[in-house]
Amino acid sequence: MEAILQVFTYLSDLGSMVMIPIIIAIVGLCFRLSFLRAIRAGVTVGIGFVGLNLVLGIIWTYIGPITTIFVEKFHLQLTVIDAGWAAAAGVAFATKVGAVIIPFTLLVNVLMLISKQTRTVNIDIWNYWHFAFTGAVVMTVTSSMFYGLLAAAAHCIVALKMADLSAERVQKEIGIPGISVAQGYAISSVPVYMLLEKLYDKIPGLQNRKTDTSSIQAKLGVMGEPMMIGLVLGILIGIFVGYDLKKVLELGIAMGSLMLLLPRMVKVIMEGLVPISEGARSFMEKRFKGSEFYIGLDSAVTLGHPTTITVGILLIPITLVLAMILPLNSTLPLGDLAATAFFISMATPIHRGDFVRTLISGTIMMAIVLLFASYFAPIITDTAKNTGFTFPEGATQITALSAGNWVAFVISKLMSLQALGVAIIVVLVGALLAFSKKLVLSK
Amino acid sequence: MKTVIIACGAGIATSTLICDRVKHLLSENGIAADIIQCTVADIAGHAARADLIITSMKLENRYDKPIVTAISFLTGIGREQTEQEILGHLK
Repeated sequence: MEAILQVFTYLSDLGSMVMIPIIIAIVGLCFRLSFLRAIRAGVTVGIGFVGLNLVLGIIWTYIGPITTIFVEKFHLQLTVIDAGWAAAAGVAFATKVGAVIIPFTLLVNVLMLISKQTRTVNIDIWNYWHFAFTGAVVMTVTSSMFYGLLAAAAHCIVALKMADLSAERVQKEIGIPGISVAQGYAISSVPVYMLLEKLYDKIPGLQNRKTDTSSIQAKLGVMGEPMMIGLVLGILIGIFVGYDLKKVLELGIAMGSLMLLLPRMVKVIMEGLVPISEGARSFMEKRFKGSEFYIGLDSAVTLGHPTTITVGILLIPITLVLAMILPLNSTLPLGDLAATAFFISMATPIHRGDFVRTLISGTIMMAIVLLFASYFAPIITDTAKNTGFTFPEGATQITALSAGNWVAFVISKLMSLQALGVAIIVVLVGALLAFSKKLVLSK
Repeated sequence: MKTVIIACGAGIATSTLICDRVKHLLSENGIAADIIQCTVADIAGHAARADLIITSMKLENRYDKPIVTAISFLTGIGREQTEQEILGHLK
């Protein structure tokens, strides 16, 4: 273990731009890619980081200054920019924990499967960034990669259990047999929505389920396109802070570019990971095949539901209003406003497609997410700096709503207690494994 | 030349994987196609010039174009059936 850590320390001193490509290439070789394909995968991922670093510059140049105006002119404490899930994923993959997260998560998953603690075979490699994120945050707080990996493992185990619990309900509502959703954020929302569902059952006004949203959807049109959301938002904020016309339009284009370009850069990272994802999938497929297993997929598989689409769009203005009125919130929602549907991906199946319940749950969830995203902002910013992303002097802090994950929060708080925290997490995870059979959601 | 839209939740991860598969499938079968990779919200903007829409999720068809749900490309179960379905729409 010590020798391995020393190798990692040397590699990480090379900086993420060099270190991650090397580690990804090694991981690729482990999944039996040819030498050249492994190198290519590593280099592609590295180039994605370079691109991400460049695009983050849009934030410092155009968007950072408005947070200062918010504070000085309106006394709104919105000092942190939500750079969106793409930035959070990129930063998470660029850390030491992120570099080894793919083989590490597969190892944890295999152990869980062999010991019959889960039925989910999680092949959703890209979303391992959620586990990497939790690990990276803990590594920043504790300065220990060991605690970071333990934290990632804890998040992964909770994800597998939540995926099992919600599997049958998800399969029924989405209409795809044999799957479950093990995405690191979505699973943190499952217990919240399960509790709220129980509560709604007791409220008389919420008894009639309304699942037809086509009339609302028709009125909303096609405003869901990320770059258009960015453009409109930029223009509105520009007017709000009292910019002149030139600067208003400039801010609109800048926000539109952030929405379009940041995910594009992360796409390069993802492309690099495609061959590794393939290797991982066939590795798991050979060993864990059959009807007793669920295939763990991204929560995106649930996004086609009309209730999810409609509530997702309505959550954009709701989140903005919440950000302004919520005490303790310091996050200016932006990047992840294009991904609001992801936050309710599990609410729709748990509320059986009911529109009103999903809308209320979504609003509560966005409030929770804003608070945790604000909490994580300084840690994410530090993590990004430590990983070699360029932050100009006095730059605005960044976070991502999709990183406002309460499971990550609980794990990182406990891990900061080090050995004692590990003991508490072991007890909690053990209890979850022991009692989880009783909690399974019916179809 | 056919035009194929490939859409997933964020237009980044899952659709990249599906894109990869579809490109292989089409070149093996000698079909030339222009592939548009996007998010599910972007479909409306491209649908008019598309011959086929491939998604990673079940989607209500409001576009007047055939839609194939290609989850089997992710799970590996029933992949050949999906491939035949895609080829059927493009031949």
